[in-house]
Amino acid sequence: MASTSVSKGQILSLYRSLLRTARQFSDYNIREYTKRRTVDGFRQNRGLTEPSLISAAFSEGKSQLQVAERQAVVYSLYAPDIRSVMETNLKGKR
Amino acid sequence: MALRAALIRHLRVPVQTLSPAGRVSQPSVANSLFGSIRFMSSHDDHLSKEDVADRVLSVVKSFPKVDPSKVTPDVHFQSDLGLDSLDNVEILMALEEEFKLEIPDKEADKIDSCKLAIEYIHNHPMAS
Repeated sequence: MASTSVSKGQILSLYRSLLRTARQFSDYNIREYTKRRTVDGFRQNRGLTEPSLISAAFSEGKSQLQVAERQAVVYSLYAPDIRSVMETNLKGKR
Repeated sequence: MALRAALIRHLRVPVQTLSPAGRVSQPSVANSLFGSIRFMSSHDDHLSKEDVADRVLSVVKSFPKVDPSKVTPDVHFQSDLGLDSLDNVEILMALEEEFKLEIPDKEADKIDSCKLAIEYIHNHPMAS
């Protein structure tokens, strides 16, 4: 299988898709974790120059995106009514 | 029940008295009132450019990697603020959340300065 090199646009598009999928989670913890993990993961691999490593990281990212999309659907089926305390806007700090 | 009856007795509803000729004696206050309120008109709903600019700047300033003192309406994300393309995407995500928009990928790739962001959001019909 001839591997075409991954372009910067594709990487940014994957990044954006992961962050958008993270927003769909109703659970605060999972949402924040997904955002944190994508930011950390992409930053960690930022300095890669070898095409094989880049495409390996890219395909790993794509499979993670598919996992996240599936889980977003599953979580939305059983979304809890109670929101996390981190999401409440406490006005008037003491 | 008694309270309700007392309340109804207490309320005075203005009643328009019809003169014998059949003309309504009250001037059409109602018409002028409703004339200034345009129901279901979204013409004035659009955000002003200063409003958009303020909110865009506050979002950019609250980004952890950005130095707030350097943020001006003309600032370029990558060349002036020293961010990279990943940060660019993150800032655009934050702007999407602030204005409840969905920016398509093609447009998002072009926005790389505050000026373009303010322009795009101002021209977007769904910005709120």
